[in-house]
Amino acid sequence: SSIMTAHCSLSLPGSSDPPTLASRVLVASRNFANDATFEIKKCDLHRLEEGPPVTTVLTREDGLKYYRMMQTVRRMELKADQLYKQKIIRGFCHLCDGQEACCVGLEAGINPTDHLITAYRAHGFTFTRGLSVREILAELTGRKGGCAKGKGGSMHMYAKNFYGGNGIVGAQVPLGAGIALACKYNGKDEVCLTLYGDGAANQGQIFEAYNMAALWKLPCIFICENNRYGMGTSVERAAASTDYYKRGDFIPGLRVDGMDILCVREATKFAAAYCRSGKGPILMELQTYRYHGHSMSDPGVSYRTREEIQEVRSKSDPIMLLKDRMVNSNLASVEELKEIDVEVRKEIEDAAQFATADPEPPLEELGYHIYSSDPPFEVRGANQWIKFKSVS
Amino acid sequence: MAFVAAAAGWLLRLRAAGAEGHWRRFHGVGLARGFLHPSATVEDAAQRRQVAHFTFQPDPEPREYGQTQKMNLFQSITSALDNSLAKDPTAVIFGEDVAFGGVFRCTVGLRDKYGKDRVFNTPLCEQGIVGFGIGIAVTGATAIAEIQFADYIFPAFDQIVNEAAKYRYRSGDLFNCGSLTIRSPWGCVGHGALYHSQSPEAFFAHCPGIKVVIPRSPFQAKGLLLSCIEDKNPCIFFEPKILYRAAAEQVPIEPYNIPLSQAEVIQEGSDVTLVAWGTQVHVIREVASMAKEKLGVSCEVIDLRTIIPWDVDTVCKNADPFSLGLYPTGKMKEETNNLY
Repeated sequence: SSIMTAHCSLSLPGSSDPPTLASRVLVASRNFANDATFEIKKCDLHRLEEGPPVTTVLTREDGLKYYRMMQTVRRMELKADQLYKQKIIRGFCHLCDGQEACCVGLEAGINPTDHLITAYRAHGFTFTRGLSVREILAELTGRKGGCAKGKGGSMHMYAKNFYGGNGIVGAQVPLGAGIALACKYNGKDEVCLTLYGDGAANQGQIFEAYNMAALWKLPCIFICENNRYGMGTSVERAAASTDYYKRGDFIPGLRVDGMDILCVREATKFAAAYCRSGKGPILMELQTYRYHGHSMSDPGVSYRTREEIQEVRSKSDPIMLLKDRMVNSNLASVEELKEIDVEVRKEIEDAAQFATADPEPPLEELGYHIYSSDPPFEVRGANQWIKFKSVS
Repeated sequence: MAFVAAAAGWLLRLRAAGAEGHWRRFHGVGLARGFLHPSATVEDAAQRRQVAHFTFQPDPEPREYGQTQKMNLFQSITSALDNSLAKDPTAVIFGEDVAFGGVFRCTVGLRDKYGKDRVFNTPLCEQGIVGFGIGIAVTGATAIAEIQFADYIFPAFDQIVNEAAKYRYRSGDLFNCGSLTIRSPWGCVGHGALYHSQSPEAFFAHCPGIKVVIPRSPFQAKGLLLSCIEDKNPCIFFEPKILYRAAAEQVPIEPYNIPLSQAEVIQEGSDVTLVAWGTQVHVIREVASMAKEKLGVSCEVIDLRTIIPWDVDTVCKNADPFSLGLYPTGKMKEETNNLY
């Protein structure tokens, strides 16, 4: 059985070892299905005649890919938790474990050339948008191998077509509308996913962005990641209407089960198609849950019960849901998925090693990129005798 | 024993990091780091960063206000708010997360004591919070709004500068929002980075119509906050968050007032005048004693306390305005022209 497992793992898609003839025969004899059809929850609709389909096809290849990505995000967040408690990561750290189906599902529904902007619970999106775990963990530990060269930290990670990573609640939404305008202007059929949370949904500038996007028919998908708590305040105590998918009023909306990656994927494909057809913006509410508190300084149990967290973990965990589906439909075996777990763990360990050992950025770079100017601009430090060069 | 082990560990780590040593990194970057804080202490690698390079100096126990109790900064704020709500039946406190006590525990126990219609949470909307506060104040009730971090005050900037500051003037004194006080945690704390460390008082310092106050200690904070709440002008009260726990001293239990727009001379001196506010007062005090010790310079240390309208007289009394880099305008200019 362990030999079979070893051979199975050699033939997994994406692995670098070329499968031997013997292992191909073994896999063939194991006889996985190539794909399977699943029923997904129907989305609640606002100002829409039709919604996303209620069934979807998942291929074995896609399933394994999503599983690996979600497991990577999960383990990466847990590793960040560990590093934070060891004081190797400092400052602020907002983790998204529990919400993996959102970041992986959204990515599955769009193209790499589409654009995405979100707030500070962004590590998962940084990964799904293409950065490596190494770069992300090194950024968390503030080292020069980090994706923002160690100067951004948890809340300020960026990548190609990924605009962060933003600290001020709600401020990223008008930015997203602007990116959508650029998409429309450039005429390349791209859309912009603009994410915000249930707490941010009560900020004024979000409604300003709704108005502009609808007025000018911008290809902007507004996405409210509703994890039921804005820091420590539950949605009922913060919002007059908790139907976040309807809050866009004149903007059509759908409410999506954010713990089911297939549901998220189909809804995203639907929304992206809607925007690309030139009909204007659309709003998606992803109903999801975070296991950790708001940030690492929040235990997360003073405003919700441990029973509630446990219940979500046991009934709606996104990774568990995908795993059960795949195993029950013979898309993968339990051993195969365990192999992926082992590989992911190793990848995270290596990345954490790198993130702990990499040197910090040199102090001279403290002032870099404040301004763009040639020759470099001199910027004053904490007092007038400390000067930094802003090289950019 | 632990000291030796820690010291050995520190040295090993320095060598291991191929280290230039984190002290050498500061050379050539202006004022040597060592100038501002005591000689190298032994810390392990994870705590190499110097978070607070100052020591809070408590003031002597005040005798003129009755019984005192040891309080840190957030407790003295709670005490001031408690006194206000007790004295003034129209006073209300609101902001994000204030009901359970606030993210810095400044409002602990107040909701239980005064009821949920006087201490309540708002949704996440700074512009709305301040605008709403102005509205309450215009009807004559006392509004004490909290902005969770000074870094988040900017959506409310328009409301403060364009509405609150100008209400009395533009209505010819028919209306005013003088009973509005906005409280907000302020200043750097070491790990706050871009959005939990800002000191935005300078943005407000050029806006006539509002008052901006920053205390240096628990005793000062309670007296100044009570004065802000009772002052008939809209006030912004910035609370140095690094001092919330770090600063503790004897503070009177009963209410008392410290006048606004009055600077305090903490230490007399004859050669140089040093002006600071908030956390920096404690840094400047250390600088003053170092200057005395190493350079033989006698420094006068002034805590400005109110940033606008500021106490020009106290600051300029002993100082030569030109040596301070102050350029007198208006009446000051006329007077100094007469002197020279």
